[in-house]
Amino acid sequence: MSNGIKILFGAVLGVLYAACGLLQVVQAIFGTMESLEALFIPGNIFSGSVLLVIGTVFLTGVRKLSIGTEEGMPFIYVGILFSVGIGLVELLALCALGADAYLVGEWADWSAADAVNPLLYLAVIGVLGLLAWGKEFFRGARAA
Amino acid sequence: MTREIRIALTGNPNVGKTTLFNALTGSRQHVGNWPGVTVEKKTGKVSRNGCEFEVVDLPGTYSLTAYSADEVIARDFILDEKPDVVVQVVDATNLERNLYLTTQLAELRTPLVIALNMADMAEAQGNPIDYRKLSGFLEIPIVRTVGTRGEGLQDLLDAAVKEAKTSPHHEHTIGYGNEAEEMIAKLTDPLSADRTLSGKYPLRWLAVKLLEGDENVLAKVRGGAASARVQSILSSINSDEYEATMADKRYEAIAAILPQVHRTNTRGTTFSDMVDRVVTNRYLGIPIFLALMWGAFELTFTVATPFMTVIDTLTVWLAEFAVASIEPAWLGSLIGDGIISGVGAVLIFLPNILILFLILALLEDSGYLARAAFIMDRPLYALGLPGKAFIPMLIGFGCNVPAIMATRSIESEKDRLISILVNPFMSCSARLPVYVLFAGAFFGAHAGGVMFFLYVLGIAVAIASAKLFRSTILPGEVSPFVMEMPPYRLPTAMTSLMHMWSRGSMYLRKAGTIILLGAMLVWALASFPYGVEYGSAESFAGMLGHLVEPLVAPLGFDWKVAVALIFGFLAKEVVVGSLGVLYGAGEESLTDALFADPSLSAATALALMVFVLLYMPCVAALGVIKKETGSWKWTGFAVAYGIVVAWVLAFVVGHLAPFFIGGA
Ligand SMILES: Nc1nc2c(ncn2[C@@H]2O[C@H](COP(=O)(O)OP(=O)(O)OP(=O)(O)O)[C@@H](O)[C@H]2O)c(=O)[nH]1
Ligand SMILES: [Mg+2]
Repeated sequence: MSNGIKILFGAVLGVLYAACGLLQVVQAIFGTMESLEALFIPGNIFSGSVLLVIGTVFLTGVRKLSIGTEEGMPFIYVGILFSVGIGLVELLALCALGADAYLVGEWADWSAADAVNPLLYLAVIGVLGLLAWGKEFFRGARAA
Repeated sequence: MTREIRIALTGNPNVGKTTLFNALTGSRQHVGNWPGVTVEKKTGKVSRNGCEFEVVDLPGTYSLTAYSADEVIARDFILDEKPDVVVQVVDATNLERNLYLTTQLAELRTPLVIALNMADMAEAQGNPIDYRKLSGFLEIPIVRTVGTRGEGLQDLLDAAVKEAKTSPHHEHTIGYGNEAEEMIAKLTDPLSADRTLSGKYPLRWLAVKLLEGDENVLAKVRGGAASARVQSILSSINSDEYEATMADKRYEAIAAILPQVHRTNTRGTTFSDMVDRVVTNRYLGIPIFLALMWGAFELTFTVATPFMTVIDTLTVWLAEFAVASIEPAWLGSLIGDGIISGVGAVLIFLPNILILFLILALLEDSGYLARAAFIMDRPLYALGLPGKAFIPMLIGFGCNVPAIMATRSIESEKDRLISILVNPFMSCSARLPVYVLFAGAFFGAHAGGVMFFLYVLGIAVAIASAKLFRSTILPGEVSPFVMEMPPYRLPTAMTSLMHMWSRGSMYLRKAGTIILLGAMLVWALASFPYGVEYGSAESFAGMLGHLVEPLVAPLGFDWKVAVALIFGFLAKEVVVGSLGVLYGAGEESLTDALFADPSLSAATALALMVFVLLYMPCVAALGVIKKETGSWKWTGFAVAYGIVVAWVLAFVVGHLAPFFIGGA
């Protein structure tokens, strides 16, 4: 019964990830669109592809759930894990870049905005999902 | 009065033998959550309550009929070395499969004790084993253990002592049905005539193995007193059929016991099942794997930067200080230009290496490694490699030496040879400094992407080579994928950090030995003959470099790079160390010095990275290739093939790159 919420959650996050991923890849290939940079969507084929993969995981889950198979649930869960995990990686990277700028004395020129990207801020939504459903996902581990 | 008792730990793969071994002996042998971690026997000692024990950890094996190189080691030890007690480590969550081996061990009549390991998991799954009852059925002492927490160790040793002192050991037989029993009786008769054999092994066991068509046992019989009669009996039967019926009988016997000692398996969907449904998905499996790999390299490259900056600053400062203040000047130069610049150039990458090893440890301990092999089975199979071969490939990201050893668990000789030959293309951690240095100097923000490209290129070349070998020099069928998927486990920080450190410290040791040596050698070559300008074209290094330069000039490399590549044969980090020495200690770091060198461009840097990735296995890797293939021919082939492939690809990349990176 809470499936409705999960479908909605997966759909929204999936579409966001996939769209940002697509934009990043397009941006990387066809050059800069100023408006995208303002939205913190830099051109990058690699992270763009990662976004696409995460988006696809969510959307696969949504598709399966909406035709009524419980099979879709793991995709939403794993998508959330994936989103949070990669987000954590990006957060660490951001901190590292900041620390490095400070160490080499370019702190004044450095702005976190340069390093922010969808993998980082979309993960915030992922964290919400983890808080909401993390328990029931991991519980599977014990109650075998 | 205290005789030493020798205990062999055996059991199926991934049941926790090494974990128990470490707990018993205080060793730190490699443990991982995938089948096939241990491929060599390892020995350790303990003394408890005035008793001395020698404990031997063996590779995992599913039966006493060995197929792969690591299984052979396990089987031979138990058969031929005759340990005082065999301890079979059993995974309590997977009794049926594990007890199959028990039925075979019991036939051997060696003193046997079962360590019912992973008891914690079985209990947590709501499926505890009534091990006293099980022990009664099997007539084998059983001790409950939890290897990871060191539970049950004392009981295990006590049981082993008791079992070693009990004799004789009665055989626990499984009836194989009339037809088979008749054949067994027929075979035991001539076998008893062979005194050497019958003195060493139980007759019934020999007969059973012969009936199953066990090559190894047949070889033992051949040439002996029983040879002719046994062979004539065997020639009239179909051993595959007997093997199948006897396996059925064993499973029947197990099936009769199981329901009485634990609840029947009512497993729901576990966490592992759920994750697997996604990560082994037909279409998403590989993209997910690649995305995870991207995350891993993002961590390796970016997160390490501040630490690298610190080490870099320190080395540059130290080198300058040494050159300026140590008298006489040549000593200052040796220490500053040679040792500190050379070793420092390599030490900078310690943060990257540690992070990489941490990631590999997480990969191994979580259980994802076996999944990666599974999802790659489909594409690899089509290209002529079994999916299992992907595991050594991934381990190769750390170091090719253990990776090549890990191929021992591949059953088919040809599959294994191909896996060994292509493994050096997997980009080991020693190559990482080269990438970080050059990608950082020439590709700035895209350094991560460039590194990723190199790793993927390594995999692609490995796979393409496998395909090539399969369709030319090593034709044959690929063996099908058989591998158990271990449950996912949350790696503990402690074990993963320990893994990271045990391997990371090897890098440090290398920096202190072979890399130091290489740096000093290059420094000497760059400083002499006496009186030449340091690192100039007139020095020995210059001469050597100019000698080889024509070979690498088409790739855009100058003599300094040529020298570095030559010494990179010792260990690939030496490439960076040598460049550190040749570019000497200035106010600037090596990165800046390289960037400022007009003979290097982004395209040549890329070509160089490709070349270093592929050009040849380092000395240590060549050593294991020789050891594992037992052939100088294949070892030489690995070198020659690598150099050719590296040259061609570096040439192509160097000439194509300008079109992609804007003619840099
Ligand atoms: N929960 C639990 N995990 C265990 C226990 N013993 C071992 N493990 C885990 O099981 C995995 C396999 O352990 P190993 O000791 O490498 O197994 P092995 O039998 O030596 O494996 P191979 O060398 O591949 O044959 C590791 O992830 C261990 O941490 C146990 O008693 N309980
Ligand atoms: Mg082991």
